[in-house]
Amino acid sequence: MSTTLYVERVSPVHRLNPVTKLVALLCLLVVVFAIAQWWVGVGVLLLVIVPAAVASGCGGVLAGFALRLLLPVLAMLVLVQGLTYPGGQTVLWEWGPLALTTEGLLFAATIGARLACLVCASVLLVLTTHPGELMSALTEKGLSPKFSYIISSTLQLIPSFRDRADSILLAQQARGLAVPRNPLRRLGVLMPLLGPLVLGMFTDVEERSTAMEARGFGSTARRTSLVPVPDTTAQRVARWVMPALAAVAIVAPFVWGSR
Amino acid sequence: MSTTTTGQGNANRTRNLALIVIGTLIVLATYLYLVIAQPTELADNASAPAGLIAMAGYLVGAVLIAAGSIHRLSTVTIAMVPVAIALNIVVGQLVVVLALPVYLDSIGTVLISVLAGPAAGVVTGILTNVIWGLILSPSVLPFAVVQVVIGLMAGYAARYGMFRRVWLAPIAGAVTGVVAAMISAPIAAFVFGGVTAPGTGALVGMFQAWGNSLLASTTFQGLLSDPLDKLLSFTVVVLILTALPSRFLQRFPFVREYRVFRRPGVKAA
Repeated sequence: MSTTLYVERVSPVHRLNPVTKLVALLCLLVVVFAIAQWWVGVGVLLLVIVPAAVASGCGGVLAGFALRLLLPVLAMLVLVQGLTYPGGQTVLWEWGPLALTTEGLLFAATIGARLACLVCASVLLVLTTHPGELMSALTEKGLSPKFSYIISSTLQLIPSFRDRADSILLAQQARGLAVPRNPLRRLGVLMPLLGPLVLGMFTDVEERSTAMEARGFGSTARRTSLVPVPDTTAQRVARWVMPALAAVAIVAPFVWGSR
Repeated sequence: MSTTTTGQGNANRTRNLALIVIGTLIVLATYLYLVIAQPTELADNASAPAGLIAMAGYLVGAVLIAAGSIHRLSTVTIAMVPVAIALNIVVGQLVVVLALPVYLDSIGTVLISVLAGPAAGVVTGILTNVIWGLILSPSVLPFAVVQVVIGLMAGYAARYGMFRRVWLAPIAGAVTGVVAAMISAPIAAFVFGGVTAPGTGALVGMFQAWGNSLLASTTFQGLLSDPLDKLLSFTVVVLILTALPSRFLQRFPFVREYRVFRRPGVKAA
C-alpha cells in the first residue's frame, strides 16, 4: 500500500494553491455543521463537491473511497437513530423498545449528509494535493517548519516501518515464535515484535537528529522557499470571501429563527 | 503557527505557556458547555449548533496546545515524533486487520510521552490523527483532541512515577481511558450521531433504547471500551520499556530528570 492517496492528474483543482483548498474545506465544513438541516449537507455535496471531483478527474477514485468509508457507518446510523432516537415523537412503526420515528430519520439524514461532506471533501483534498506541496505552502504562510518536518518524515517512514516489522516477525518465527489463529491470542505476538522494533527505530533517531542539527534544523531564521507554490490574486480574494460566507452561515440560523 | 525566534527565552516561554493554558481552557469549556447546557440535538434547532461547537472548540483547543508544545521540544525529540506516529498508525492498523475488539492506536503516543514528556506526547497525538486522516480515513480528524489528552496524561503519569512499577501503569491507563471516553463522547454524539463504527453504534443504540440521551449513550459506550483499551496500551508500553536495556532508557533527559523508571545503579547520574 502506498503511503498517500495523492492521484497525479492535470486539472484546475490540482493547480489551485493548497492553502486555498484547505480554507475551502474548512469553510465548507463550518457551513454544513452550522445549519442543522439535512438539505444543506446534500446541497453542498451535490453542488460543490461532486462538480469539483468531476473537474479534478478523480471522481471515480473518490466515489470508491467514499462508498467504502461511508456505507457501513451510514447504514448503521439510519438503523440506530431511526429506531432509538431519544427525541422521537412521530412514531411510524413500533416493536418493543424500538420505534421508527420521523425525528430519528431526519436526525440520521442530517448527520449522514454532514459526514458525507466531511469525508468526501477531505478525501478530495488529499487526492488532489501532494502532501509535500501542501506542507511547503503552509510553511510559506507561517506554519512552523517543525510541523512540516514531522508530517513529511512520517509519510516516508511508515513503509520502512512496515518492512522492519515484517522482517522482525520473520526472524522471531525462524526462532520458533508461533503466530496463533485465535485473534485474541495473537495480541501476545505484539510483545516480541514491538520490543526490537522500538529499540531499533529509536536508536536511529539520535544519528538523524545530529544530522538535522548540523544542517540548521533548530534555526528559526526565516528562509526562502526552494520551490515557490503558485498563487493568484483571485485565490487570495477567495481566501477572504469564503470565511466571510462561513461566518454568515453561523449567524444566519439565529437571525432567521429556527427555520 | 509562529515565525518568532525561540532564542528570546522568557517572552517565548510565556507565550507558549499561554497557548497551552488557553487551549486547555477552550477544550474544558467546550466539554462543560456541551454537557451542562445539553444543546437539544437537532429536531428544534433554534439553539447553538452543538456539532459545530464540539468540532470547532476541540480543534482550536488542540491546535493551540500543540502550537504551544512544539517549541519546547529539542531536535532529538522532534526526530522521535515521526517514529512514535508511525508506531501508532502501524499498530492501530494491525489491530484493525486482526479484528481485535480494541483500538490500540495510541501506543506510540504513550511511549513518547513516557520517554520525552507530555509536550512530545501532545504533538505526537494531534499529528497522528492529522496523518491518519491524510492516508487512511478522514473521520478520525475530529478526535484529534482525544490523543492530545492521552499524551498529556501519560506524560504527567510518567513524571509522577506511575511507570516506576509495572502494576501502577495499568491504573494510570485506566484513569486516562475514563477521561478520554468523556472527552470523546460529545464528538461521537454531535458530529457522528453516535455511530463511529458499526459495532460501537449498535451499543449506542442499545443505551438509547433503554431511555438514555444521545450524549449519555456515547459516554457509556466510551466508558465500556476506552479504559480497557488505554489500560492495555499503557501495559504494553511499560512491558516494552522495562524489557529494554536501561542504558537506552537513561539516554532521555526527561527520564533522567524525573526518574521515570526505578533502576538500581543508574540513579547516581
